[in-house]
Amino acid sequence: MSSDFELLIPIQQWLYREARLLDSRRFDLWLGLLDESIRYRIPNRALVRQAHAKDFSTWSVERELDGADSLALIDDDLAALRYRVGRLQSGMAWAETPPSMSRRLVSNVMIDSVREGCVSVVSTIFLAKSRNDGRVLFTAERRDKLAPIGADFRLRERYVVLDDAVLAADNLSLLF
Amino acid sequence: MNSQPSVPLDRERYVARDGSWVMPIIFSDPTLYEIEKQRIFGRSWLLLGHESQLPRPGSFLRSWMGEESVLVTRDRNGKIRAHLNACRHRGYQLCQEDRGTGQRFQCRYHGWTYDSDGSLAAVPGEESIYYREIDKPKWGLVPVPRLDTFRGLIFGNFDPDACSLEDYLGDMAWYLDIVLDRCAGGTELLGPQRWRIAANWKVVAENHCGDEYHVGFAHGSVFPNLAANRATPIPYAREIRPAMGHGLGANVFPDEMPPEEWLKAGLGEFPPPVYDYMLRIYDETLRRLGKQRAHISLIHGAVWPNFGMVPIVNSFRVIQPRGVNEVEMWSYSLVDREAPAEVKAWFAAQSARTFGPAGSFEQDDAGNWTAVTRSSCGFESRKHRLNLQMGLGHEERSDRFPGELGLTASEINQRGFYLRWMRDMFDGETRDE
Ligand code: FES
Ligand SMILES: [Fe+2]
Repeated sequence: MSSDFELLIPIQQWLYREARLLDSRRFDLWLGLLDESIRYRIPNRALVRQAHAKDFSTWSVERELDGADSLALIDDDLAALRYRVGRLQSGMAWAETPPSMSRRLVSNVMIDSVREGCVSVVSTIFLAKSRNDGRVLFTAERRDKLAPIGADFRLRERYVVLDDAVLAADNLSLLF
Repeated sequence: MNSQPSVPLDRERYVARDGSWVMPIIFSDPTLYEIEKQRIFGRSWLLLGHESQLPRPGSFLRSWMGEESVLVTRDRNGKIRAHLNACRHRGYQLCQEDRGTGQRFQCRYHGWTYDSDGSLAAVPGEESIYYREIDKPKWGLVPVPRLDTFRGLIFGNFDPDACSLEDYLGDMAWYLDIVLDRCAGGTELLGPQRWRIAANWKVVAENHCGDEYHVGFAHGSVFPNLAANRATPIPYAREIRPAMGHGLGANVFPDEMPPEEWLKAGLGEFPPPVYDYMLRIYDETLRRLGKQRAHISLIHGAVWPNFGMVPIVNSFRVIQPRGVNEVEMWSYSLVDREAPAEVKAWFAAQSARTFGPAGSFEQDDAGNWTAVTRSSCGFESRKHRLNLQMGLGHEERSDRFPGELGLTASEINQRGFYLRWMRDMFDGETRDE
């Protein structure tokens, strides 16, 4: 417990720094935070019935999320993320040229477990984006695995649970 | 606006006789949209889903036909059914879930309960407060009058007098089979991803149907070298109009060209397991459909009115209208059902990375469609014709495959799309109730 608590401050600072890099559009530097073996996934979500309506203990968000064998919103490895980010500075990625204005609020940071130095951390993110046609708001839970590199960390896994079955946005041009 | 809108009789006002221009007002006029609900979405074959989404008796999904919520079920006997998702008591949207399994649907308002075949099974208070006077067989869910499947895809049509699905697809079916019937195992749909775009449905659908022209510019971020070369037609690629309203673009590779060569002409390289799989599928396609079709690779297309596709990355989508200036995109990845898991996963990731809401293409497309729709709302800007003349008068035919052909790029398919719109909107008038 106490060791988790000592980890919490550097983990929080890492997540805040990451959010600031993305808000300030330093996607190139953001790529530097990623582990070689990263898997970045945003599953598709649907409105479904819980198996046992009368038993909270069986209710789960997982039931609403498409499994790994289905179509995700994003399912990227490092090469795909590099491509995704690189495209944004082609000068012709019109949805982000000029760039949208964005702000990420990262909150509710909790360390789930630490295994062989690899930290599983859950956080919530509130992403606001505004461009020509007004403002879009997203909220999500992020389930991350951060691998230690000396005193720093690299993102090895990110699983984003968006709070939408139908996105109230015309694209997902930004990363969570 | 009265409850029975009518189109001003001046047919010349919206679309040129030869399809060479359209008026932007058709993207923003609420009266025209009301008529579209009746004469287009009320009379066309519309995609509801895929048999693979209803694996067993009791499986259900909630879908749409135009702005009508539709409940699609597999009943106790395994038969696929589609009904308006509206309780017959007060019209409450009966099913409030995207998909699931269950033999009974109980309305949340007053508790009328329907069976998966649509029949009314139970009414609370049937004896005590209805005096046993309710004639339950008369109050089942309203069925979608025409339901049919094509290679696993489920289509519905609200028009009891509509032509058969087969006739409706016409020569488009010959092309669709290149992806739907290329292997014995058939296909399945993964997804859908769903998102909202502030665009008129036609702006989105015509793009799928025929707009190869935008690819080099709107998607310049994906093809940095193509943008400069747009004046040159793309070798092997053709725009094809199998029938008015449907359209597609395809690479048509010469018979003598080995598949090893043209399989690399897709979007990016296939990793080894996928490449090997595609070679196997080529052999199977050759056996099932013949050389002519084994050498055609579909790029994009649309079945009239709102079933769009980008088969080059396995993306299939329904452009669900949500009012005159909004759509809800339902985007699926269509994969061979019996493909190895890693091959399916690669195709799904490819669909998502290109034509999902976070895709390298799709991200930028939404902006095109919202900007066109937005312009069409202005009093002044919507009065001026938009140009659709590219390739007009240069349509060709080939003895190798059905339909009319244009270069890539050509606006042959968009002209077909808007002429079909005119035909459905105006010639349909006499059939209004
Ligand atoms: S509206 Fe369904 S039971 Fe009353
Ligand atoms: Fe596009």
